[in-house]
Amino acid sequence: MNSFIANDGAFASVRQPSSRPSIWNVLGRWAFIMPLIVLNLIVIIIPSIFGLLLAFTDWSGYGPINFIGTANFTKLFQDKIFFQSLTHNLVWTAFFLTIPIAVGLLGAYLLSSIRRGQMFFRIAYFLPYVIASVVNAQLWRQLLHPRVGIGPLLAQQGITFLDFPIFGTRETSLMGVAFVDAWHFWGFLVILYLSAMAAVDVELYEVARLDGATRFQQFRYVTLPSIRPTLVFTILMITIWSSLVFDYVYIMTNGGPANSSEVMGTYLYQHAFDRFDVGYAASIGVMMSLWAMIAVAGFVILRRRGWDI
Amino acid sequence: MNTYHFSKRLLLVLVVLMTIGVSGVHAQEKTVVTWWTEDYVDMDALTTLLIEPFNAAHPDIELQVVPTATLDDAVRTAFTAGAAPDILQTPGASFIGEYVNAGLIHPLTADAATLGWEGKLLPWAYQSGIIEGELYSVPLTYETMILLYNKTLFEEKGWAPPATYADIETIAAAAQAEGINPFSYGNAGFQPSNEHLVGIYLNNYAGAENVYKALMGEKQWTDPEFAEAISLLTKHIAEDGWFDGNLETYFTYGWNEQFTALASQEAAMMMIGTWGFRGAGEFFADSGSDWDWVSIPPFSDMAGEYNYMLATGSTLSVNGQSKNVDAAVSVLDFLFSDPARVLQIASGYSYGEFVVPLNYKAEDFPEGTDPRISRFYEDFATVTGQGRVGYTTWTFWPADSDVQLWKEIEQVWYGELSVEDYLAAHQATWDEARASGKTLPIPAR
Repeated sequence: MNSFIANDGAFASVRQPSSRPSIWNVLGRWAFIMPLIVLNLIVIIIPSIFGLLLAFTDWSGYGPINFIGTANFTKLFQDKIFFQSLTHNLVWTAFFLTIPIAVGLLGAYLLSSIRRGQMFFRIAYFLPYVIASVVNAQLWRQLLHPRVGIGPLLAQQGITFLDFPIFGTRETSLMGVAFVDAWHFWGFLVILYLSAMAAVDVELYEVARLDGATRFQQFRYVTLPSIRPTLVFTILMITIWSSLVFDYVYIMTNGGPANSSEVMGTYLYQHAFDRFDVGYAASIGVMMSLWAMIAVAGFVILRRRGWDI
Repeated sequence: MNTYHFSKRLLLVLVVLMTIGVSGVHAQEKTVVTWWTEDYVDMDALTTLLIEPFNAAHPDIELQVVPTATLDDAVRTAFTAGAAPDILQTPGASFIGEYVNAGLIHPLTADAATLGWEGKLLPWAYQSGIIEGELYSVPLTYETMILLYNKTLFEEKGWAPPATYADIETIAAAAQAEGINPFSYGNAGFQPSNEHLVGIYLNNYAGAENVYKALMGEKQWTDPEFAEAISLLTKHIAEDGWFDGNLETYFTYGWNEQFTALASQEAAMMMIGTWGFRGAGEFFADSGSDWDWVSIPPFSDMAGEYNYMLATGSTLSVNGQSKNVDAAVSVLDFLFSDPARVLQIASGYSYGEFVVPLNYKAEDFPEGTDPRISRFYEDFATVTGQGRVGYTTWTFWPADSDVQLWKEIEQVWYGELSVEDYLAAHQATWDEARASGKTLPIPAR
């Protein structure tokens, strides 16, 4: 104790490392991380392994589990609806990597220059994100309703481009649902980007202004490079989340009409809970996980190559 | 003195402990029967009309009914954990098949024989729960498809309720000429609504006899009469605009929209299950229009005389892992032994739920029952009693075949899938179900 409160030299003498840590020391360290390991084991690792194994079975969700090798994957690779769903997930990803990010960046940049009332806009933009998806979906189903929604109302004024059943038309159902999901999501991006922009050194903007940079040039050459880690993080997360999309599609169209808005998540659900084919559903789940792993791998590779993300 | 006080206190403690122990034993003696049900039930009505009377009549049993969200998911998870309820409520017959295959259901054949359930339940309903000679489930509710119409509109236009397919065509043409949609329906919020229409066309065009043969494996779903039935539905919904004017609107109309359209005379008729009585009651109340119903007429000579498609909604079974089988059986028997009680509960749902398929008599209906509804139950009993029955897809089709039917029909309507390919895929699901023993019980005709 004395040595602990003495000068650095005395402290160092106490902290001299022994050649091998004692067994109690090692056990003590394990004891600290054991709760986390157990928790991870129960909540993540065991269910993941179980989910993976189910993909090689014909389990209906009720009775005995029989291993059937790779039959589910053979069927999956011949399943047109699955590939249609996968394509829709890709379209969904492309949409979310462009429109919401662009609008989020624009919103955050404009908001960052506001001093008064910024909190009001922050709350207003973020509010849809914390409202339950069921509520948001119902709200937009009414707003875009072909009888009582905005479409027929605008049509009375001669503006007819929204006067059709958006969620009931094959060509628009997927993008209609994506729009509603993006509406609830973009405020979240605004908040993230705004926080990142707040950390940018103001002197960089002053120098840019002295050099005669326009607002767009300041955004392009100062803001964007400065918030790149946040931007790349959101790109990664959107890519992963886009493979998992389920709730808005399930609530608003259930994948219809005629599979035009079917995504992997709803297709998985259909097999697991409507068709009692949990094994096949698990094989779809494996493909969804593979998507996420590819996205994470890309992120890791870029970091290893020295990207500041 | 101290010893005396000590003994007195000891005695007091012993008495208290014994009392607690005895009361504990008493508490343990009371068998608790659990029944998880859908979370939309009216618990007040159920408590007053079922739980309290049952518990009063069975002092040694305590019935606990628990409203449960996403009921089947919860039950399935509970089974895995070995904590499923004693009374098992499933969303339909296809679920029972899966539970039975997994060996999770207690066979009720012996109890049913002792308690005379075969005489209490409607014959087809009793048979629908028999799998490989054993009774495994009993319908909690039954339903059929009917044709609702806007009575006020019909009277204004001088149309008679349709009794034949020719009548339907005449009314449809007359309605469309006046800008009125012949039928209102939609699948927004519940995509399986498609199967209601598919089932109607299969039964009412190809005929229930042919459907029965296909269910039994004596005919193929690819046979011409079924192809014609699906083609006719496709023509009506995708080309003629009979349902809501066009397909896109059909896909965006849900419960509220379809009844609003019917009650507001935007549409003339609606083919729907008997759960539609509830919607008719609600949406016509302040609409200025009145409603009525008729049975759905046959669409071709193959269909013969009109019939009612048999359908069970939720089913009741006893958990095969339950330690309280006898008590659970007594709950079911209590329910089946008092038709008036059941109808009183069902009246709270406008007879859309909890209509246990019992042999009801006119005096069983509560006072003030809508005569249109009691007329339905009387006619249903007469017609089905004569063996004039059809088959609903959600009651008699294996799960995979059923989903294929309502899911892929949309591709047929859009011309992305030919009727022939659609029915060939359907037959393939049946072949697979038959090979793996997943077909469901079909009552003999």
